[in-house]
Amino acid sequence: MTKNKKKWRSFKEFLYILPFVIIVLIFAYYPLYGWVYAFFDYKPPQALTPDKFVGLKWFKSMVENPVKIKQILQVLRNTFAISGLSLLFSWFPMIFAVFLNEIKCVPFKKFVQTVTTIPNFISWVLVFSIAYSVLNSTGVVNTVLMNLHLIDRPIDFLKSTEHIYFKQWLWLTWKNAGWAAIMYIAAITGIDEQMIEAAKVDGASRMQIIRHITIPSILPTYFVIVMLNLANFLTNGMEQFYVFQNSFNKEYIQVLDLYVYNLAMGSGGYSLSVAVSILKTIVSVILLTLTNGFSKLVRGEGFI
Amino acid sequence: MKKRVVALLLSLTLVAASLTGCGKTTDSGNGGAASASTEKKADASTSTDTGASSDELLTIEIYDEAANYQGTQTGWFAKVVKDRFNIELNIIAPQVAGDAVYQTRTATGNLGDIVLLDPAHFTDCVQAGLIKDISGEIKNCSNLMEFDRQITAYNSGVPGNTTGAVYGIPCEMTNTSPTSFSDDVVYSSPMLRWDLYDAVGAPDIADLDGLLDTIKKIQDANPTNEDGDPAYGFSLWPDWDNNDGMIGIANVVQLTTWYGEKIKGSAILTTDDKFIPLTDKNGTYYKMLKFLYKANQMGLVDPDSGSQNWDAACAKMSSGRVYTFWYSWQVGFWNTQERLADGKGMIFIPVLDQKYYTTSDTYYGSGRIFGVGSGVDGEKYDRIMKFLDWYASPEGVTFQHCGIEGFNYTVGADGKYTIMNDNALMDNLPVPEEYGGAGYSDGNNAINQWIVSSISTNPNTGECYGNTHWASWKAATATKTKNEWSARFGVAEPVDWMKAHNALLVRPSVSVSLPSEDADITVIRNQVGQEVKDASWKMIFAKNDAEFDSMWDTMTTNLDSLGFEQLYKFDVDKYTIELEAMQAAK
Repeated sequence: MTKNKKKWRSFKEFLYILPFVIIVLIFAYYPLYGWVYAFFDYKPPQALTPDKFVGLKWFKSMVENPVKIKQILQVLRNTFAISGLSLLFSWFPMIFAVFLNEIKCVPFKKFVQTVTTIPNFISWVLVFSIAYSVLNSTGVVNTVLMNLHLIDRPIDFLKSTEHIYFKQWLWLTWKNAGWAAIMYIAAITGIDEQMIEAAKVDGASRMQIIRHITIPSILPTYFVIVMLNLANFLTNGMEQFYVFQNSFNKEYIQVLDLYVYNLAMGSGGYSLSVAVSILKTIVSVILLTLTNGFSKLVRGEGFI
Repeated sequence: MKKRVVALLLSLTLVAASLTGCGKTTDSGNGGAASASTEKKADASTSTDTGASSDELLTIEIYDEAANYQGTQTGWFAKVVKDRFNIELNIIAPQVAGDAVYQTRTATGNLGDIVLLDPAHFTDCVQAGLIKDISGEIKNCSNLMEFDRQITAYNSGVPGNTTGAVYGIPCEMTNTSPTSFSDDVVYSSPMLRWDLYDAVGAPDIADLDGLLDTIKKIQDANPTNEDGDPAYGFSLWPDWDNNDGMIGIANVVQLTTWYGEKIKGSAILTTDDKFIPLTDKNGTYYKMLKFLYKANQMGLVDPDSGSQNWDAACAKMSSGRVYTFWYSWQVGFWNTQERLADGKGMIFIPVLDQKYYTTSDTYYGSGRIFGVGSGVDGEKYDRIMKFLDWYASPEGVTFQHCGIEGFNYTVGADGKYTIMNDNALMDNLPVPEEYGGAGYSDGNNAINQWIVSSISTNPNTGECYGNTHWASWKAATATKTKNEWSARFGVAEPVDWMKAHNALLVRPSVSVSLPSEDADITVIRNQVGQEVKDASWKMIFAKNDAEFDSMWDTMTTNLDSLGFEQLYKFDVDKYTIELEAMQAAK
């Protein structure tokens, strides 16, 4: 009787999670079926038939000659540079959150937080049209510079490749910093007030409180986020680079995601782009496992 | 206990919801829109089940590769169609939704009730069984049967069609002849502002260098437009690069037709009926790229070219910030009646060493093909065919090309039309109340492609459908621009000058089915296209001749590694079929 009851109970509990299991199966695992396209000569609208099976042809074709290898290396360099830069500056939202938290005037604090969070909801297409109208040859920046006689011909900001990674990082930060800070603000709220009060009683200054209490308390959050970013190292998202790309800066701006998009959507190289994204997934899984192992080694616990 | 039951029910609904969610895609195989047609059945008690009944509203999905608008057709054209057929047009536009929609829709087996596809896609879809055989029904469509010869010619060429079935209806067919050329202008030719050209002495222009000198003089004399914004000889845009099977910068590809050559994929068809690779330094692609490079060296190219989009380029044309046009339709962004009357119109200026390429009247169609989805049948099929027949009828074509009687044109005592409200499209004028009153441009036919070309003769007037060919329009546009131009060059229309100076190369309209390419060629074409496009833009903005040439050489070496040879061979084989048909038609 009790055994049956237990069984029934566990079955019911299983039912609770079943919907989510099904959703995950449909939206996360079922799409993996799409990987078969990498092993066929696929061209819509014809269905996949056994005679179109080509094995590893598309994987091999990625590296079959020096020009293609150079292209892949270029794409990887851009991906690493842009991801590396974000990783290098990943402390920025945390520091931003810490200082935001120090603002004592609540309306002003809310104002800053809202203003920095809103860009996260602006699509990249709109961001680019802002960038275009500000930075084109007759845009605000060039007009001001020309009127001040600092330059005698307009600067082609959008075509130039100088400091391109840094500029792209700036756009990304402008868009994301406020949003990324939310996680840290939540973590700061969770800090025990008693510690801060005790520190104040002991005569700690504001900077000392930040240094010895606030930052150490939110470091675990920071580490988890960094590790997750590390696993996503190859994923920069393509929208940002898609809207900013042109023939002049593409050599430096085409990241892996954009490369896959340009290959497939340019004119239907579906099989090849699926092959590229399979490789990307495999590398990402390896990176995730490595960072998790690293985390276990350093902190004594993994995050998955 | 109650809580548990609620939780159980909730989870079950979630499961059910997610399952029905994915079920939908599979059963839409035989026409998702079919369900829409039955929705209103309840209140249509008078309708009979037999025959085509237009008592109930029918929504037709049109998969339309020509459309720039996605969604339900609205405004006056929607009203015209609804009044006649009680049909609503739901347009699916890959140009808006992205090309991936083609892949996903073909995978479900239902592309649309009516499809409008480029020839290669059409052939593929016929072979994949997505297109309905309309041989039986089309016989009853008297307006479509006017084009029987062209339709039969097209369909007999569809690969694998041995039984003589009819699948597709070509677009923009004419009722003239396969070798005649009725237009007054060609698709691409150099065009300058008449008043500015006149102000610099209306010089004879011998060649491209002469053209650049003239444009330079114009730009030096007028560095800004009337509002004081900087103006340039050329403003280019990259949006259309590598589209429509072209390789390279779309603007450059178009300019190559000034020397009678035509880019066919990776090959160039020369004036003496030979193919040379796009990468040939003696070919026109190199020549016109160098022309734009020189223009940039002389400071004539808008520095935003290459990073601006079409909208930005278009805004510059409309505000007089661009001094050279090369597409015949570009004049629509500048030439208003007022400007033409002031002598400020953009008009063809001959360059003496050029020979302009054009195809003849699109007797056999201009490329894209209309078809009916294979899932359509019964009453719906009947109504769709009736709609298509009307779409090709004089009444339908008049709506498409001339607009609304009493708003866009008036009919004179002699039955001929006179244009009115010629800015209806440009300024989106409100249409009469009986047509819904909304903006003319907003309600314009969003299918954006016609079965019958505007160059065809309207049986009701004896003139072309296209309003720029009406006698009344020609009389009205005998403006300062046109009169002075005619006086200077001694002919009435640009094409007359070309004919008189043996500077027009007309390729006849032919109907051939070109082979579709496999996945390998697709990938090569894509990668080659990207390489050519990127290199070309950099070359236009190269610092000096040496850099220009070294970029060209790097590009050709890279192209060899990307499989250019294989692509070129494929393209030559492919377009030789077309060339042979052209030679036979002469």
